[in-house]
Amino acid sequence: MKIIAVASAKGGVGKTTLTANLATALQRLGMQTVLVLDLDPQNALALHFGGDPQSLAGVSRATLTGQTWSSVCARSPSGVHVLPYGLVNETDRIAYEHHLGVHPEWVTQQLQSLGLPPDAVVLIDTPPGPSVYMQQALTAAHVAVLVSLPDAASYAALALMQRLVATYCQPRANFSGALYVLNQVDGARQLSKDITRLMQDGLGARLVGVIHEDQAVREALASDQSVLDYDPHGQAADDLRQCALRLIENAGLTAVGVLQ
Amino acid sequence: MTTDQRPRADELADEDSHSPQARWRALAVAVTGWQVWQHPVARMVAVVVSALLMGLVISVPLELGEQIMFSVGSFAAAILLSKTPGRLSTLAMIVLSISASSRYIYWRITDTTGFTNMLDAAFGYGLVLAELYAFSVLLIGYFQTAWPLQRRPVPMPADVSTWPSVDVFVPTYNEPLEVVRQTVFSAISMDWPADRLNVFVLDDGRREEFRAFCEELGVGYLTRDNNNHAKAGNINEALKVTTSEYVAIFDCDHIPTRSFLQVCMGWFFNDTKLAMLQTPHVFFSPDPFERNLDTFHSMPNEGELFYGIVQDGNDLWNAAFFCGSCAIIKRAPLMEVGGIAVETVTEDAHTALKLSRLGYNTAYLEVPQAAGLATESLSGHVGQRIRWARGMAQIARTDNPLFGKGLKFGQRLCYLNAMLHFFYGLPRLVFLTAPLAYLFFGAQVFQATALMITAYALPHLAHASVTNSRIQGRFRHSFWNEVYESVLAWYIMRPVLVAFINPKLGKFNVTAKGGVIKKAYFDWTIAQPYVVLLLINLLGIAVGVWKLFYSSGEVTTTLIINMVWTLYNVILLGASVAVASETRQIRGTPRVAAVLPAAIRFDTGRTLVCKVEDFSQHGLALTVPEGTVVSTGSRIFVSLFRSTEEGVFPAIVTFNGKGRLGVQFDNLSLHQQAELASLTFARADAWVDSWGAAQRDKPLRSLKSVIKIGLSGIGHLAVTAVKSLKPR
Repeated sequence: MKIIAVASAKGGVGKTTLTANLATALQRLGMQTVLVLDLDPQNALALHFGGDPQSLAGVSRATLTGQTWSSVCARSPSGVHVLPYGLVNETDRIAYEHHLGVHPEWVTQQLQSLGLPPDAVVLIDTPPGPSVYMQQALTAAHVAVLVSLPDAASYAALALMQRLVATYCQPRANFSGALYVLNQVDGARQLSKDITRLMQDGLGARLVGVIHEDQAVREALASDQSVLDYDPHGQAADDLRQCALRLIENAGLTAVGVLQ
Repeated sequence: MTTDQRPRADELADEDSHSPQARWRALAVAVTGWQVWQHPVARMVAVVVSALLMGLVISVPLELGEQIMFSVGSFAAAILLSKTPGRLSTLAMIVLSISASSRYIYWRITDTTGFTNMLDAAFGYGLVLAELYAFSVLLIGYFQTAWPLQRRPVPMPADVSTWPSVDVFVPTYNEPLEVVRQTVFSAISMDWPADRLNVFVLDDGRREEFRAFCEELGVGYLTRDNNNHAKAGNINEALKVTTSEYVAIFDCDHIPTRSFLQVCMGWFFNDTKLAMLQTPHVFFSPDPFERNLDTFHSMPNEGELFYGIVQDGNDLWNAAFFCGSCAIIKRAPLMEVGGIAVETVTEDAHTALKLSRLGYNTAYLEVPQAAGLATESLSGHVGQRIRWARGMAQIARTDNPLFGKGLKFGQRLCYLNAMLHFFYGLPRLVFLTAPLAYLFFGAQVFQATALMITAYALPHLAHASVTNSRIQGRFRHSFWNEVYESVLAWYIMRPVLVAFINPKLGKFNVTAKGGVIKKAYFDWTIAQPYVVLLLINLLGIAVGVWKLFYSSGEVTTTLIINMVWTLYNVILLGASVAVASETRQIRGTPRVAAVLPAAIRFDTGRTLVCKVEDFSQHGLALTVPEGTVVSTGSRIFVSLFRSTEEGVFPAIVTFNGKGRLGVQFDNLSLHQQAELASLTFARADAWVDSWGAAQRDKPLRSLKSVIKIGLSGIGHLAVTAVKSLKPR
């Protein structure tokens, strides 16, 4: 089992959407078992897989009531396994976060207890910036995928993320490194181009994805579909497939039937 | 990166190590590897014995039957050799060809020139002289092309601070800015340290719009107050006010790739005596032959033989010469010879000759790193060739490479052939009319029986044909040399002879490019000489047929041989006529076929991943998924990619259907145009794929296509003539 934490220093970088679409892309590319785990209290990830946003079930409630995580795991129509955050009130959220604070390896243990096959891949969506969730995700992760936008603020915030990764992941032998994805790139804007270039030059092969700004991404969510299904010939869909391929290559994932 | 010039047999040997071809190669390697060859005495003995044998083969008189037996055996050996891999086989074929041709020429001179009357002697010696010319060009040609050097690029030193400064000159006189700007955009996007790359437009037209364009783009703009010595003078004037260590020169319609300098400059680090490095001239628009005969990209064009084989062969002898564009020259040696030569109208070749005389090296790198527009019409093409021919004749007169100081024997021969080559005009016309001397006047140009002539001449022609087909197969198809020569012969004959007699006569003409031929038409003016020759030859055939049936006292075999020869001439002239019927050239800016990744963004914010099918400086054709709906006239953005680089360009949809989308760029800024150039025309690999990619030559297939084109030319001429006779 490979655990990939998807993280960002700032909000609004399209992290949840990216996590959902990457999961679908990985599954399409032949990954046998793909699981997504939502550690963001917004509970938005399930929505990308046709889940009911008003459904209460999720890992937060399961943790507090002592249920196993597998009992709240659902399989989406596309075949991706989904562990939603679930709907909780403020008191329960604080209790859950407290629980995570006390048990820093909780997510790691829970994921291990799921008994996933060795070639499985788990994508963890996290809320932006430092939090107990990100701490848990980075502690569990074999690979961290850091998402950024091609603007000055996101670029400046990358350093913060790199420090967090260094703190929680680097000392572990089974951590293979941080990879980067640049989201909502627009080749027509000079600033976007310059920052893209800067990151390409600075990160080289560790920049595994450059996802173009594409209206189809928003429209796909509105119509309850993955971008790959909604607009398979679009640029975002193509970029996501390329990104998934490079992720497979760089994160040492095992996929069956990957042609490229 | 360079084209594999090896024959098919080499590929077979590579594919299967147990094939007969592979075994032959192993044998050849073993034999040439024998230690004994290293011994000077053994080498000397081998040369002397071979020379004696050759002398014997050339001079021993044989009866008809014996000669036939000998020829059949020799030709069978050549055919067998042509199926084997390796350069040793090529050399062996050359030896067989030289012996067959020498044997013919020896016999021709010693046995067939006992002319008995003035008429026979006049026509007979005329033909012999033409044959001697062709024989010399064949021999020197073998010397030139037997072993192409196939130089590969040398990597640049890793330390960028050691890279020298380069001035890029783009001389122009009357070409439209439209044509020149593309070259300038590509020149400034060359991958080279910006502080050591200086682009200059050398405007002999002194045009305000050029000055404004250069100023806006921030490139140098140089003019002078006269136009003395045309392009050469223009460059020399620029040399006075620039200082970089190297000068790269591009004709204003030759668009360099961004990798040009990095690919070419390495050799200058390797060889400090190197003064000039030339790369091939390739064209992304069809020349008049290709356009009017519809052979673009399916058959090697006229120039490809020179850049594919001849220059590469010259390079072995350190005799590659400067061709005026797509080359780098080191400033110091260039100044030492007084800048670009101004004494002749082929200043480029002459400059290289002067550099060679001072002991500098020249190089040819067969990697297409620039491409340009071919001449747009046959008359333009003819004009250009006239200039080359006249210039070469001028060099032959004023600075003959056979004489003077500084040159090695190999260099003298290579330059000699470059000059001699352009004297083909008169001999070609002799060949096109020789059989008529018999058909019309009964002149006996051969004092021998028809069968003897066949038994000697046929092996001479057949060996030359199969041998050259092996050497040149990728770059010149059999029988096309005759077509090209027939088209140009009449036009270059006079200027060459005039220039040879008085090198100062005649004037420089600039080749017009980048135009549109709005309506298909038949260029009567330029076709006149071929039409006349064609009619005379057709008359010759008519006379021959008449003689065959009604005239006694004719030797039937002689008559038939002359008629077959005439028929071949009719085909060549028919093909020449076909070249003169100018087909429509619709696009002012030619499109370049290339599959490149691309994407579209619509005004809805939606996107589409697609592929470029072809590009021009004004638009693109894109391959899109079948069923894509885009309305014509809608505004979109097109992204083009080059590895991780992306350029986005506003465009308007002009065509949509069947999985294809045509778009026209919409008001690109100067910066965007430069960026577009770097992602299209200036791509390092833009011209590499199509170089030498035409079908390999097969002599019989090639003959068939020449016959077809010849007949269609005659047909076309008949139709045009009937039409123009009809009252309007």
